[in-house]
Amino acid sequence: MKPFFSTLRARQLNGYVCQTCTRQLRRKPQRRSYASTSSRTPEIFDVVCVGGGPAGLSLLAALRANPITSTLKIALIESQSLTPTRTFSPSPDSFSNRCSSLTPSSVRFLSDIGAWKFVRGERVQGYGQMRVWDGVSGAAVHFDAFGGAEKEKRDEGGVVAYMNENVNLTAALLRRVEELGGVEILDGERVEDITLGREAEEGDLSQWPVVKLSGGRELAARLLVGADGANSPVRGFAGIESTGWDYGRVGLVATLCMEGEGEAEGRVKTAYQRFLPTGPVACLPLPGKFSTLVWSTTPELAAKLKSLSPRDFVGMVNAAFRLGVVDLKYLHTLEGGQEEEAAWREDHVGFDGSKIPQRVVGVQDGSIASFPLKLRHADTYIGERVALVGDAAHTTHPLAGQGLNAGQGDVESLARTIEYAVAHGMDIGVRMSLEQYMAERYVKNHVLLGVVDKLHKLYSVESGPLVGLRSLGLGAVDALEPVKAFFMRQAAGTGKIL
Amino acid sequence: MAMAMATPLRPTSLRNLHLLLRTAPRFVHNQFGSHNTSTNSSSVNPTEVSHFNALASTWWDPHGSSRLLHLMNPLRHDFIHRCHGMQPVPPPSANLRYLDIGCGGGIFAESAARLTGTGLVTAIDPSPEVLGVAQAHARRDPGLSGKLSYLNTSIEGLAKPGSVEEQYDVLSLFEVIEHITHPAEFLDACQEYVKPGGWIVMSTIARTWTSWFTTKLVAEDLVGIVPRGTHDWGKYINEEELRGYFLEKRGWNSPMVMGVVYVPGLGWKEVSGSEKVGNYFFGIRKDENGEFEIGAKSVVWGH
Ligand SMILES: Cc1cc2nc3c(=O)[nH]c(=O)nc-3n(C[C@H](O)[C@H](O)[C@H](O)COP(=O)(O)OP(=O)(O)OC[C@H]3O[C@@H](n4cnc5c(N)ncnc54)[C@H](O)[C@@H]3O)c2cc1C
Repeated sequence: MKPFFSTLRARQLNGYVCQTCTRQLRRKPQRRSYASTSSRTPEIFDVVCVGGGPAGLSLLAALRANPITSTLKIALIESQSLTPTRTFSPSPDSFSNRCSSLTPSSVRFLSDIGAWKFVRGERVQGYGQMRVWDGVSGAAVHFDAFGGAEKEKRDEGGVVAYMNENVNLTAALLRRVEELGGVEILDGERVEDITLGREAEEGDLSQWPVVKLSGGRELAARLLVGADGANSPVRGFAGIESTGWDYGRVGLVATLCMEGEGEAEGRVKTAYQRFLPTGPVACLPLPGKFSTLVWSTTPELAAKLKSLSPRDFVGMVNAAFRLGVVDLKYLHTLEGGQEEEAAWREDHVGFDGSKIPQRVVGVQDGSIASFPLKLRHADTYIGERVALVGDAAHTTHPLAGQGLNAGQGDVESLARTIEYAVAHGMDIGVRMSLEQYMAERYVKNHVLLGVVDKLHKLYSVESGPLVGLRSLGLGAVDALEPVKAFFMRQAAGTGKIL
Repeated sequence: MAMAMATPLRPTSLRNLHLLLRTAPRFVHNQFGSHNTSTNSSSVNPTEVSHFNALASTWWDPHGSSRLLHLMNPLRHDFIHRCHGMQPVPPPSANLRYLDIGCGGGIFAESAARLTGTGLVTAIDPSPEVLGVAQAHARRDPGLSGKLSYLNTSIEGLAKPGSVEEQYDVLSLFEVIEHITHPAEFLDACQEYVKPGGWIVMSTIARTWTSWFTTKLVAEDLVGIVPRGTHDWGKYINEEELRGYFLEKRGWNSPMVMGVVYVPGLGWKEVSGSEKVGNYFFGIRKDENGEFEIGAKSVVWGH
């Protein structure tokens, strides 16, 4: 470690501090010496939450909605402006490309904290099953990831999960937080620096994180919550390492317009996912004729797809659910004309139209985007006066649609842990008060990450014995009974680990 | 206090040894009631003080020897909550006054001060080292200032309350009574600090063959993790002795008891009946219409 880091020993920095933060931290020694001569005292908060995404906002709503924790003094720091979220007034014929499937247990939690009522129901699409199959062997995977949750299915009127735009959720959460009041919302403010406080006449803040904002304010946090996404500056400050790997894949998303509404009147819709060697491609139903696409593929192929004309892009998406792996490979090599080529090839392959998504007829303008996919798991979720939730704690492959739901599970557990601490006079920031949260979530998320990872790897294999095994209708996931059972429980929200 | 530095002890909390208790036949041997006529004016045993001085540095290390005390602390609040819950009229929801005697590093005192219903916590301990640790630690939480006041004294040195307002809603004696040389006299001294309708709550350990075996024989004589003589097992007090002590006196009602057992991996769990054999909480309520004594003369109040 370089000499100028030596003052940071207590909060061991490590490889996962992002560039910007490292730069900020390098400035620290000067700021510190300056600070020690300044008479400035930071404002003191019980909870400072960095990150106003789904995880951060639902934590605030949960804390404010509970009479026991509503006495806490809370601040939210979000680098983006929250105005678009606050004024969310979508048109009925367009949908955001960032959608997530919410499990019944997430929906139950969101209802409990009084936020679900603000989610625009007409933009949420429940679905009754997920049809999954192996793109190489053609074998159906009785993944029916959510189908096993028969009881929940009955309870929810045949629905096993809900597709929803992330912004519909965050808008609802923000409305709920503002309805409850009492949170100091500092949006459009970057975290410039996080340091430890100072020992002063009035008290000893030398163990308290002090967050310095771009606007100049300084907030001392009894508990600093990192809900600040996968590159979490809070995690960097706490010196918590996050380990994992990049999948070398991106998730290409788009809002699709389908030829019809999906299922016949009155019946719940179906989600579809096909495992291709490059990664799974999923078509998830939205209201009306809309669907959302999540296509995990290599960055090169994603770039290629993005460069296509809308017509050819649509042709490729249709082909991805219908044509063989070899055909797809070939289509990817073409400069253009995929639509015609795919249509011609489709005439020569047999597929059961009832088992695949309806035909895509259009893609919403400007909705094609891609995100790098990685697996990361923080070594711990808690430190002295620090807790991590959501993507700051873990990121997973989207193939099981569990990332956001895992974050909601974290938040529910952390809010309960904080409630217990407040009710028993514990200092909510000290590690001991946070241990319950760690105990409830870490292993559970670890198992989830591992199972999703194995699924990805299992289906990335194009030839060899694994494919044989897969095509034997052992259907891989079928063969992995515990894995299947795991997803059923996840979907059911009982979330027990294996 | 002069003997404070007598024996350098290893920082092993003798309190932790209490946690080793399991079931055993009851040992009936009551010396609690027998008042000692010694002229010692303080309830404080100097050997105990030196022992706790040695613990001072590890008091707030959640992974150190005081971990089990930290883990037990929430149960103290649960127990007080339960005592309050059985009052016909619940206690006020704000401005409750606590007196924590033998506060040690302040684990309970800090937590009591943090509760929204608390007005003031006065916490006392005879060991200056331990109290220093408590005070330094409290400075780390600016939220405590104004709600928590530490005094380096024994109960005998504490100013007597001059009015009901100066008395306390909750007087707590956590893991204290077993370290007191003359518990009956000590409890006598505590009573006038409690408001009418207020509570004395305490936790301690039953005097049983098991506690003798685990804390005296194993810990001291066989394993030697604490020096011989650290424990005075004879000072352990059983629940019915406490109950008898208060109910024989005028002015106390509603005895409450809760037995707890430390289950490794699970933490402290309430186990009903376990007060007979190991760690337990005891609570007793002062009558609402009682006498308020100032020195020798009695002031009678009613509704
Ligand atoms: C392609 C794709 C598809 C997905 N599909 C699903 C799905 O179907 N189901 C599902 O459950 N999950 C899904 N996920 C995952 C899901 O989107 C994430 O898990 C979820 O958004 C994480 O929420 P979060 O609140 O933890 O973090 P984020 O949403 O990343 O929010 C973090 C917030 O912190 C703010 N922030 C960051 N740094 C700072 C700073 N220094 N100062 C202030 N603010 C800061 C950011 O602006 C952001 O608002 C998918 C992910 C991808 C990539």
